[in-house]
Order: sequence, then structure tokens, then C-alpha cells
Amino acid sequence: MSAAGATRNKGVASFRTRLFTAIMVIVATLTALGFYLAQRRVTADAEQNLRQTFQTELSSMHKVEELRYAALADRCNALAAKPRIHAAIEDDAIDLLYPSAKDELRDLMEGDEPPPEQAARSLHARFYRFLNNTGAVIKPPNASDVGELDAATEAQLSLPKLPDMQQIGYIQSAGDIHEVITVPIFSTDTGDLVSALVIGFKPLELENRRTGIQSGIWVGGHLHLPALAGSAKTSLNEQITTALANSDSEQNYFRVEVAGAPQLLFHKRLNPGSLFPPAYEICLYPLASWTAQLHRLRWQIGGAGVLLLLGGFVASHFVALNMSAPVKKLALDSEENRAERERAEAALASTAEELERSSRYSADASHQLKSPMTVLRIGLESLLEREGFKPEIYEELSTLLHQTRRLTGVIEDLLLLSRMDAGHVQIASTPVNLSRLVDEWLDDLGALPDSPDVKIEKEFPPGLFVAGEKRYMSLIVQNLLENARKYNRLGGRIRVSALGNGKDVVLKIGNTGPTIPPSENIFERFHHSSTPSAASGHGIGLNLARELARLHGGELRLVYSEDDWTEFEVRFSAANGVNAVA
Amino acid sequence: MRRLGLLSLNAIFSFIPASLLTGATVEGRVELPKSRSAPVQAKRYEIVTKAGVLSTQPPLAVVYLDGNFPRPASLPMKEVRQKDLTFIPALLPIEVGTRVQFPNLDDTYHNIFSYSPTKRFDLGRYRPEERPIPSVVFDTAGLVTLRCDIHEHMRGLILVLNTPYFVMTDTTGRFRLDKLPPGHYTLKAWIDSRTTRQKPVELKDGQTLHVDLP
Repeated sequence: MSAAGATRNKGVASFRTRLFTAIMVIVATLTALGFYLAQRRVTADAEQNLRQTFQTELSSMHKVEELRYAALADRCNALAAKPRIHAAIEDDAIDLLYPSAKDELRDLMEGDEPPPEQAARSLHARFYRFLNNTGAVIKPPNASDVGELDAATEAQLSLPKLPDMQQIGYIQSAGDIHEVITVPIFSTDTGDLVSALVIGFKPLELENRRTGIQSGIWVGGHLHLPALAGSAKTSLNEQITTALANSDSEQNYFRVEVAGAPQLLFHKRLNPGSLFPPAYEICLYPLASWTAQLHRLRWQIGGAGVLLLLGGFVASHFVALNMSAPVKKLALDSEENRAERERAEAALASTAEELERSSRYSADASHQLKSPMTVLRIGLESLLEREGFKPEIYEELSTLLHQTRRLTGVIEDLLLLSRMDAGHVQIASTPVNLSRLVDEWLDDLGALPDSPDVKIEKEFPPGLFVAGEKRYMSLIVQNLLENARKYNRLGGRIRVSALGNGKDVVLKIGNTGPTIPPSENIFERFHHSSTPSAASGHGIGLNLARELARLHGGELRLVYSEDDWTEFEVRFSAANGVNAVA
Repeated sequence: MRRLGLLSLNAIFSFIPASLLTGATVEGRVELPKSRSAPVQAKRYEIVTKAGVLSTQPPLAVVYLDGNFPRPASLPMKEVRQKDLTFIPALLPIEVGTRVQFPNLDDTYHNIFSYSPTKRFDLGRYRPEERPIPSVVFDTAGLVTLRCDIHEHMRGLILVLNTPYFVMTDTTGRFRLDKLPPGHYTLKAWIDSRTTRQKPVELKDGQTLHVDLP
């Protein structure tokens, strides 16, 4: 018992460990998941915020640009409507073109360039040029009037053909970048595209309200980002050039390292669909604060995870203890249960063995008894047939023969019982006419020599069929009727009634006479009445009848035994389809 | 040499009494471009631009005898009026050296100018009552596009020719040039700012030559 106890304690301890481990694993998983999700969320939020900032600033820039375009479109339409401009273009008076446009564009060019913070919002142009009908720049007669440009810069203003709608371009000139807007000029006369006006501005710069944000323009493999210089700019330019070469979308973002600091770089095409080379707005957002936030969050989540782990540790400890107590009890109980069950099983096995042995013994005994009884009976019968004995001898012989027959009956009953106990009795079930069977046995009853003077009442319909084997049915009915006669009194009566309800047939046999005390188990094998009676029985009839009834799926019981009336009831299964009238 | 010869010929002709010799005549028909609209009976026509080409609508042609003719000492003043915001006539052929005045017959300002290489001028803004009437001498042969700086749709043409012998066809393209000097010349027909047809002709005094310019 002490070894088993140790095993049990070990088992409970290992259960506790497993439970604890499982809880810890769940807590750790949850912490890790929370950490991962939170980090992803922070990253997504930061990127989302920066993207929104970028978009907002770009859209405010676009609003200014739209204003510029609108103003320029008006200017160009007015120019295109000017007879002098038309005359200059159409009548080959190109030298008069710039002077003719001068008045119209004077306000664009007048005055010095405003301070940078106003330049972005102003319409102040740095230069303007006209394009001829092949898209090439028309040389101005006096460059100082239209904004001086070096030859290389001016060459960038030319387009492969005259554009039929506004074009935005970004051109480089000696470390600076110009934003140029090219507006087509249509002849008011013919509607033909005759020229285009190119106006150069200082590019709009994103307002860097948030500290540390750097914006610039990338065009033609060059990065114009005043805040950066040297190798950092060169390496960043390479990264942007590669990214743009591999990207189809007009805007995107990626992470870069600028001088060792992580930054988020947004880029957006500034002139989609333009005849000018593609130019991109570049915005660098430092990720330092975001990284710090992420670090903080990482600590917070880590701390929370540790707390959670500790809490989990304590909780799981308690839970494991609480849970292991009933488990311990359960383990104990189950041990007791097992011992009990083992005992019961052993008892059952021995009982079964005994039972088998006894039934086998009974069968053997019956067989051994049957043969000498037959010899005895035949001998007595042949003696009775002889002549020359005294009448007293004949009477004696007759009594002996009667007793021998009884003994044979008892032996046969015993044999049947033992066969039933051994499970060797098979029933060949057929419809049996119970009504006729009862009638036949009642007739025999009346014909018996020692029958007392009893009155017989019959209350059953003819043709009641039950399912079963006829000889066993017959045995049951015989047993009950003989008992009813045997234990009757002088001048008594026997009532036999039967009733079918479609499923069952119930046969009731009652008789007058001494009653059976409730304490007596009359169905017990070899039972003998405690009350002395004239009637004789060998004590196995009722037991056999009941066993047979049960074998047929029915039942035999004593339903009444009081006030000079004893009644037995047998229930049989009705024969299917035969009892048309129940 | 040739120039001298011609001069001497001219000198000879000048002694021949005009009553005896009335000069050569050329008549015929110029095949005009198909008019986009139905022929109009009215005398009015206008200048239209199509793909950068200026022409009259309905189509008319100026037929002239090209050659080296002596410049007359003085030429009569010609006139292009501005009436109802149009130039009248819309196409005016003149000989080199002719002064053309531009009277304003509208109740509004006009500002006639030309950026044509043949003759650049700008008359500035002027009102109908402005005197003297603004005028320009056209001293180079070629085509001059007249525009108004105030009324952008206004177009007029002055065809400055090196010859005194020119005439405008009617709307069917028929023309007749008479009192022409005999000799070998080129007969030309100006149809629009980009199209001029020509044929060599030999003119004899007193003869009428029939020339079609298809």
C-alpha cells in the first residue's frame, strides 16, 4: 500500500507539473502574440500616420500647383487670343513673339524673386519660353527679359512635339531645380496647335512643420535634397534610383538608412503622364521617435508579459493544487473501487463455477437415476400383468408403480431444470392453442382417480394462441392445474380465466383452499410448505413452471393468496397474427 | 542688256499713237478651288484661314502679268476700309510703291498692324474721325496679312505686285487683262497664300490671247 501511495503521489505531482507547464505555455504564447500584434500595430500606425502626413502635404502642394495652372491657363488662353501673338507665330515674325508676349507676362516676371517662404505660394516665374511647332525652344531676342538660362538648361525645355495639354516637368540647372509648366497655345483662328508657352518656377517645397522631415525632388537619376550632402546623398540617390527602376506604381514608400539613422522614404510621381522625364517628390521621415516609441512599447509589453508570467505562475500553482486535490481523491477512490471490483469478479467467477458444477451434477444425477427407474417401472408393470398374486399384492404393486411414475416425473423435471440451468434448452416456438390445451388438462383433471369434489369455472375464449413450444406450455398448465386441485379443499372450486390483449395472453388459475403465507418462497427449488398438508409435492413444479414461463419470455407469479383463495397468473407472448379475436 | 532692250522697246512704243495701237489683251479662266459654301451673289467676300493658308471665301484669284515694268512716278492712293469689323476689300492687289490708306468707318477703335515679312507696320489705335487717315506705302512685293489688335478675327490681305497689269477674277474665275505691252511674259494667277499658277505668254499688239489657268 505504501508503494502504491508513492506511485499515486508521483502521478499527482506529475499531473500538477504538466498542468503548470500548460498554463505557462499558454501565458507565454499569449504574451508573445500580444507583443507581435502590438508591434505590428505600432508599425502600421506609424507608417499610416507618416503616409497621411505625406499625402496631406502633397495635396496642399497640389492645390497650390492647381492654382498656378489655372492662372497660367488663363494667361495662355489670353495670349493665344492675342492677334499679335498669332501674327508673330503665323506670319513668321518670331522676333516679335517675345516682345508681344512681354506685356501679357510682365506681372509674372516683374520684381525680384520673393523670399523662399512666399515663393512657394506665389505665381512669380523665373523664366518663360515659347516652343515652335516642332516642340523646340524659340530663342528669345533678349534673354534678360524672359529669364536667363544657360544652353543646357534651355535645351531641357524642348519637347519631342508640341503638347496638346499642360505638362509639368522638373529640370536641373547648376544645382538648382526648376519646375516648368508647359501650356499649349491653340490658334483661335484655326484651332490648330501652333505653339506652347513654357514657364519656369521655383519648385514648391513641402512645409516641414514637423522637425526633421526632409523633402526633395528626384529627377533623371539626380536627387535634389538640400538638407543632405556628400556620400549620404549619393548612397540615398542610388537607393532611390534602384527602387524607382523596380517600381511600377506612382507612389510607394520604403525604409532607408541615412547616415546610420533609419528613415521612412516616401516617393510620389510629380508629373504623371508628362512628356517631361519622370520626377518624384521624395520625403524622408526620421523614424527615431517612432523607434523610441517602439522601444518603450517593447518594454511595456515585456513588463506586462513578465507580470503575466508571474501571475500565471501563482495562479497555475493554485489551480494545480486545487485541481490535484480532487484528482488525488479520485485516484484513491478508483483504487478502492478496483479492489472491490476484483473481489466481486472473483466471487462471481466462483459462483458461476459452482453453478455450472451443480447443474452438471444435477444433469448427471438425473441421467443416472433415469435408467434404473425405467427398469423398476417395467419390472413393476410386468409383475402387475402376472396372475396369481393376492389382491393386496396387486394393490401394493399398483401403489409402487404409481410412486415409480411420480419419481420418473420428478427425475424428468429435474433433468429439464438442469438442462435449462446449463442453457441447453432451445425453444422451437410455434403458435399453441392455449384454450384447447387448458381444456384437455381440465378433462384429465376430472378423470383422475383421487380428484376431490371441486367445481371448475372456465372464463376464456376459445382459440387463444400463444407463442411457444407445446410440451413446455403443457407442463406449465399441468403444474398449475395439478397444484390447484392438489391444494384445494373439499367442495372447493377452481377458476381458470384467460385474456389476450394482442401482445400478451394472461392465464389466471385460482383455487380455494389454504393460503400461502407471504413469507414463504414457493418458487424456490425443493420448497416444501411449512404448513402441514395432506397434499404431497416434490417441490420443483412451480420452480420449473416459472423457469419455463420465463424461458418463453413470459412470467409466472402468485397474485393473490388470502381468504381461502389463491391465484396464480402466467403471462405468455401472444402468437402473432393468430389471435384474430383477442 | 535685256533690260536695256526692253527700255528701248518701251521708248519706241511710247511714240506710237495710242489710238492706233491699243496693246495686247489676255482673257481666260482660272480654275478656282471648290467653294465650301454655295456661290454667293453678293460682292462681299472674306479672308479665311485653313491649315495656315489664307484665301478668299468665296474663292477668287488675282491674275497678273509678271515682268519688269518701269516704275511709274506716282501711283494713285488705294484704300482698305474697316466697316462692320471687316476689311473692305478683303483682298487688295496693288503695285509696289502704292500708298494704301485705312479709313475707319466703324464707331469703334481699330488698330491695324502687320507682322508679315513683306511689310511690318503698326498704325496704333485710331478712331473714325482721326485725320489724316492712317496710311502705309508698300514698297516690297509680297503678301501682307492685315490684322487688328483689338478685333482678333479681322483679316485682310494686300497683294503687293511688281507689275501694273493685274486684275481680279469674278467668282467663276473669268478674267480679262487689256492694254498689255507686247512681248514674252509670264501670266500668273494668285489663288491663295500658298498657291500661284503661271503660264508663259507671248503677247502681240492688237491681239487677244485666250489663256486658261487650270
